[in-house]
Amino acid sequence: MTNSPLSALLPPIAGFAALAALPLVFSDAFLVAALTLAFLSAAASLAWNLSGGYAGQLSLGHAAFYGIGAYVSTILFLKAGISPLIGMWLGAIVSAICAVFLGAVTMRLKGSFFVMSTLAFGAVVHISAINLRDFTGGASGLAIPLRPNPANLIFADKMVYTYIALALVIVFYVITRLIAASKVGYGLVAFRENHDAARALGIRTLPLRIGVFALSAGLISICGTVHAQYYLYVDPDSVMGLNLSLNFALMAIVGGLGTAYGPIVGALLVSIVSVVMQVYLGDQISGLTQLAYAAIVILVLMAAPNGLGPLTHAFLKRRAAWRS
Amino acid sequence: MDIYVQLALSGLFIGGVYALISVGLTLVFGVLRVVNFAHGEYLTIAMYLTYFMFQRVGIDPFVASIAVVPLLFVLGLLTERLLIRPTLEAPHVVQVFVTFALSLFLQNLLLTLFTSDFRTVRTSYATAAFQIGPLYVSWLRVAVFVVALALAGGLAAFLKYTYMGSAIRATAQDRRSARLVGINVDWIYAVTFALGCALVGAAGVLLSPLYPVNPYTGADMILISFVIVVLGGMGSIAGAVIAGLLIGVVESFTGYFAGGELKQLVYFVLFMVVLALRPNGLLGRKGAEVMDVT
Repeated sequence: MTNSPLSALLPPIAGFAALAALPLVFSDAFLVAALTLAFLSAAASLAWNLSGGYAGQLSLGHAAFYGIGAYVSTILFLKAGISPLIGMWLGAIVSAICAVFLGAVTMRLKGSFFVMSTLAFGAVVHISAINLRDFTGGASGLAIPLRPNPANLIFADKMVYTYIALALVIVFYVITRLIAASKVGYGLVAFRENHDAARALGIRTLPLRIGVFALSAGLISICGTVHAQYYLYVDPDSVMGLNLSLNFALMAIVGGLGTAYGPIVGALLVSIVSVVMQVYLGDQISGLTQLAYAAIVILVLMAAPNGLGPLTHAFLKRRAAWRS
Repeated sequence: MDIYVQLALSGLFIGGVYALISVGLTLVFGVLRVVNFAHGEYLTIAMYLTYFMFQRVGIDPFVASIAVVPLLFVLGLLTERLLIRPTLEAPHVVQVFVTFALSLFLQNLLLTLFTSDFRTVRTSYATAAFQIGPLYVSWLRVAVFVVALALAGGLAAFLKYTYMGSAIRATAQDRRSARLVGINVDWIYAVTFALGCALVGAAGVLLSPLYPVNPYTGADMILISFVIVVLGGMGSIAGAVIAGLLIGVVESFTGYFAGGELKQLVYFVLFMVVLALRPNGLLGRKGAEVMDVT
């Protein structure tokens, strides 16, 4: 295999082409809906992975940013008639500003303390969304009227959202690759692996970490806007719940933390499992799908702490080495 | 004026249970340096066990504790052996998410088995109360408070005066030196983790005549418990007790003046303020929580 840039680009391009073909092959409405959700989760997980994977800042409050994206664009659209195409950027800016403030307070906390502080942040935003009824419609949420208009990011054909979500995945993947290959990316990884050694090398990681945290928050916020436009409905539990934060993180971890393809692999795997479970078990017993999901996550963490992506990668490499 | 005393009193009483929940969490963190994010689910399990013993067999909750607390201890031993010990040397992300996934697993296991219906232990003495001047005080709440504090005190005495307690404290201070002087550190870890589960189990028993249980009860409680443990100082038993009582009172007042949902907001904001200003808490030792940043 040659090491030209072209051959390095080939696998991701082939992968994305395959993903783009999926909705055409499985055109059943149920499967397209599952795919859309899988792509949207993959994009959100990629955004989480920028900060959680590369910098090792394990945030469990990212659903707050996702929710801020969904609410800012929806409120602006419903109250002021501003198109979500503009609203999503404003939501991203609000999220990024929140992230800078949160980061300034919490980025000096170690490990579990950082996790807990982001949990608390997520809870604060979630509870606020429930209580600011005049703006957010409280626990019952806000509905967006279905008046198809591309200028407002509302489409009658739901498959359009599948491709919007896939476009987000591709863009976020490229952003991740660019950052990972940059000085910033190496600085973050150095911090993650050994904070003191990174400091000794003269890397000032705090501004990098806060910056990437804000970028991650802004990007995931855009996913939130797309979520709102796809479902035409926003409520605190479905766009800000702790489970959502946990899912973004777990998808990246299952697929391969701190790799650009990991979150995509993880999101697809999780979606396949959940579709299979739904088809075979139905919804008659609530909780069973989540139960299996949790069990799988525990097994992956114990058996392949680096995630399934890198595990498969290493396996294929070894096979290739034996053959040659 | 009376209402303030009444609020303070009821806050203090529930704070006793919060303290007991948090003591288990802080003990495990202090020794194993692991935050058990599934701690709340052990509370839920204990509450369900108490409920079924009461409902099916008619055993009083206070009597049921004789079976529930040892059961939780064994469950703790099992969890430590299967999930905690294999991940102690693993990357931090594995440690955090193993206990988080365990929490998700147990929650959904309980959901599958028992649905999300609330279940209540209705004892005959739940409403019995006595009067001091203008104040009404529930016997049950007083009993729960006294038992909770007695257990926390008992733990402190156990850690201070027994050989095992000294070994646990030695391991908390320096695991390598503890091993050098012949302490079986693996066994200390197992016992400490199980002790944490037994304590939260006791808290579950005490809570069950006061609160209805559903699979998410523990998850709600655990968030309060994080606030308490960090406020008191991670690893500090005395800190957890003081902070537990304090949060109980704060919650009681904000619940009365600001309403049920906003009281949560108050203590989460308090939590973030504490983390920002004094992350080692009221009585915690410095060093575990903050890194030098540049």
